[in-house]
Amino acid sequence: MNCHEAAPLISAFADGEIDRVQSRDIKTHLEGCPDCGKKHRDILDLRSRLRAEVPYFTAPPALRARIGDLPRTTPTRSADRVERGRWRWLLSGALAGCAATVLAWIVGTSVLTWRANEDFVAQAVQAHVRAALNNHLIEVASSDQHTVKPWLSARLDYSPPVPDLSRDGFTLTGARLEYLAGRSVATLVYRYRDHTIDVFVRPESSGAPPSAPRTVRGFNAAHATGSGMSWLAVSDLNPEALAGFVGRIARGPDQ
Amino acid sequence: MSTESRFRALVLPHLDAAYNLARWLARDPHDAEDVVQDACVRALKYLDAVRGADAKPWFLTIVRRAFYDWYRSNRSPEIVRDDGLAIDSAVDESAIDPAQAAERRGNSDALEDAVGNLPLVYREVLLLREMEELSYKEIAHIVDIPIGTVMSRLARARALLQRSPFLRAIVAERAGGRP
Ligand SMILES: [Zn+2]
Repeated sequence: MNCHEAAPLISAFADGEIDRVQSRDIKTHLEGCPDCGKKHRDILDLRSRLRAEVPYFTAPPALRARIGDLPRTTPTRSADRVERGRWRWLLSGALAGCAATVLAWIVGTSVLTWRANEDFVAQAVQAHVRAALNNHLIEVASSDQHTVKPWLSARLDYSPPVPDLSRDGFTLTGARLEYLAGRSVATLVYRYRDHTIDVFVRPESSGAPPSAPRTVRGFNAAHATGSGMSWLAVSDLNPEALAGFVGRIARGPDQ
Repeated sequence: MSTESRFRALVLPHLDAAYNLARWLARDPHDAEDVVQDACVRALKYLDAVRGADAKPWFLTIVRRAFYDWYRSNRSPEIVRDDGLAIDSAVDESAIDPAQAAERRGNSDALEDAVGNLPLVYREVLLLREMEELSYKEIAHIVDIPIGTVMSRLARARALLQRSPFLRAIVAERAGGRP
């Protein structure tokens, strides 16, 4: 490794964000090159000065008290919150009073920038769209979890649970396999009223899961972990209902 | 779990981090309180969506978003091009009184001023890294940029700080004053 190659990596190396193989090369270079070695020491020096000289502002007690009271003083999940400040415009339109739309909008503005595991979510949405367009949502059609589960187990190196949520109005219609992020992924298909929901189930260890719900190409995606699995639901169902559904499905039948 | 207990478990533990971020972005204690309050109201609405392990970056994402919404409606936008050329023009040296900067010599406020005067795009990644010790991946999620951009912005943030006129006098003094 030469200076030209090392220079852009020194800052990330100081943050421990360079993989092990490259780290070894950079370390060797830093030890042998006074210029790059100094750049590296300067970053570490800057870091210790930042920690020593720059204040970390803690929340004032009055703010903390006010925030602690918020869950009691703020009504949640009702359309009347929309009346606050800049959300007032919603009331004037056709969307007025529609709680689900308001929530979807709130998600759109505040949470959707949170994009964990971008690739997997994007791939999952793409798979959902592709399957729906090709009318290939189901490879094993059954509302019986005891039929779907062995079908999946026989085709995968893991055995995903197939929860029954019919009491909540979510009907299992079947399952299929999707090939996502380099492996076959169990895909459970549920119906809720006229919405189709794909649930992509992977062992929990398959990398960092996506977190907050988000919208990709007009579809909503929500994620939860539980029962040793990582569950990603994709649907045109509204984000709040989808998040609730994926939370319940991940918790399993016992709770 | 009730909304209130989820709020206690997922949001309140990160209130200091939220306030610190808002305070460094807004650079005013009262504005920071408004931003944090707004962020908490938003977080409350979407509590069901988050897992415990992700609560901090999730909440900081909302705080940052709340800050920019506040910023857009309260201040004229700061325009910084995200390319190499931005570095040299990012800190407007003519706006800094050299006498005042010299007065800071030996004063630990100099670094505080230098951080506070970094353009927002660099300030936020630096804070999330050096104060919250978040990973590049988490920062990428919060700021909604690719990991490679986190890497380059952090490198630039550091270069800017090291070249900051707020610090230059001190660095020179340290370099000369050491045995
Ligand atoms: Zn070198």
